[in-house]
Amino acid sequence: MEGQDPEMSRVFIRSASALPVSEYWAKSLADLMTDAAIKAIDAAGVEKVDKIIVGNMMSGYANHQEHLGALLASSLGMRGVEAMKVEAACGSGGAAVHEGYLSVKSGEYENVLVVGVEKMKDMDTPKATKALAMAESSDFTQAVGASFISLNALLMRLYMNSYNIEEELMDYFPVIAHKNAVTSPHAQYRKAITIEDVRRSQVIADPIRLLSSAPSGDGAAAVVLSAKEGSVEILSSEIATNDLIVAQREEPLRFLATEFAFKRAMQKSGISLQDIDFIEVHDAFPVVASLALEAMGISKKGKAPQDAANGRFNMGSELPILTFGGLKARGHPVGATGAYQIAEAFMQLAGTAGQNQVNGAKVGVTHNVGGVDTTAVIHTLRRVE
Amino acid sequence: MIPIAYWRNRKVYTRMVGSKCKDCDAEFFPPVRICKKCGSRNMEEKEMPRSGSLLAYTKLSEPAQEFKEYAPIYLGLIRLDNGVNIISMIADADEEKLKAGARVQATVRKWAEDGKEGLVYYGYKFRVSQ
Ligand SMILES: [Zn+2]
Repeated sequence: MEGQDPEMSRVFIRSASALPVSEYWAKSLADLMTDAAIKAIDAAGVEKVDKIIVGNMMSGYANHQEHLGALLASSLGMRGVEAMKVEAACGSGGAAVHEGYLSVKSGEYENVLVVGVEKMKDMDTPKATKALAMAESSDFTQAVGASFISLNALLMRLYMNSYNIEEELMDYFPVIAHKNAVTSPHAQYRKAITIEDVRRSQVIADPIRLLSSAPSGDGAAAVVLSAKEGSVEILSSEIATNDLIVAQREEPLRFLATEFAFKRAMQKSGISLQDIDFIEVHDAFPVVASLALEAMGISKKGKAPQDAANGRFNMGSELPILTFGGLKARGHPVGATGAYQIAEAFMQLAGTAGQNQVNGAKVGVTHNVGGVDTTAVIHTLRRVE
Repeated sequence: MIPIAYWRNRKVYTRMVGSKCKDCDAEFFPPVRICKKCGSRNMEEKEMPRSGSLLAYTKLSEPAQEFKEYAPIYLGLIRLDNGVNIISMIADADEEKLKAGARVQATVRKWAEDGKEGLVYYGYKFRVSQ
């Protein structure tokens, strides 16, 4: 690569796995990450793993289990291997891949196993709501009764008021997600929905409805990163942060973390907007997908929902998004989501996406968020010719 | 709620004490250690004005577990009269009156309680003032 430090390694993805997102009543947190890890290791064709990084948000609260690095290493029988957990709320999976990327790039490690895992169904709904709220301030946001979804609801209301957008226009994002999930082998909800279905679904935090918010679920996804050439290369990996307390942002409708991370990732990758063949955007709620696409400069301010309605982001169209169903329909086991996105980008670029293949995909971008654009993780990836 | 955290933050919760930057006069709520505008560490305590305007609200039907018995709860994004934004529960919510731009006033109400024998937590809530 141009400008590449000769001491630094390039970073390839050798293999990826993604368990179907589901409700795994009979499996433990350790079972899920071990299942995903074994699949990825077996497909990687590497002699040994030098390091394990686990992305996870809430295992301490949800499953009474921390120390996930050592837990997975023990389960895999890899006595002696370096292992640890990385946490950045719903951005934990992306952050774990970022740490794996840096490890390989540094030249200190040849092969790194990254696993994203979350087991949310060990909790009832009020407890899961509490766990998600932990992405924001305990003292000043959780204390006043604001849950994670209610922060997004306020933001969605502000967005619709500011740009004079009808609620219905926001619903194209879940419709796209569900359409792509029908043929997605690891999606939680493989069922198409209509705008009317979204409109009829239960209101959870007005204006957010059941069918306009990402569901909770259990899941694990894994990738093996390597300095040894594989079918996909990670060109850049960037993380940026924004104010933790949404109310303290001067411009609440500006996704600064996404702006910063995307700008840096694009600069380092050497690719331009026109090169991108698909984006796995963090569609936790339609307003999040909208503000993120606008922060990346893909849609004009206030225009992402209209772009979605016009079909710009459909499969086979100019810029497909959520190619395996996104957070909304593939599912959102929060700390695993960023790893699912990387696994999906790998399948697209390796040409193994089956019925969900973006034809001729050469360059992909993943966008994973913790909190309300509080942490943003961007990866740019390319097919190795 | 963590009881000792409630005690630590009682000034913030009941009197809405935030911060003011002694160098650039910017105000913040909740309090900050370092000015987000100019980077100064020269901050002082400042009580926030107790009135403002509603920017947006939501009716939350599934709150987190310590608030579940009070469902549904109303939350507002409010611009205080000094220009600082705050997210707060809304007391005595009447959806007819909860419109963007509505004038709101702070009051102190019960937030939550730790079961029948635990502590009762009080703090600011806003209500529509006319
Ligand atoms: Zn200042």
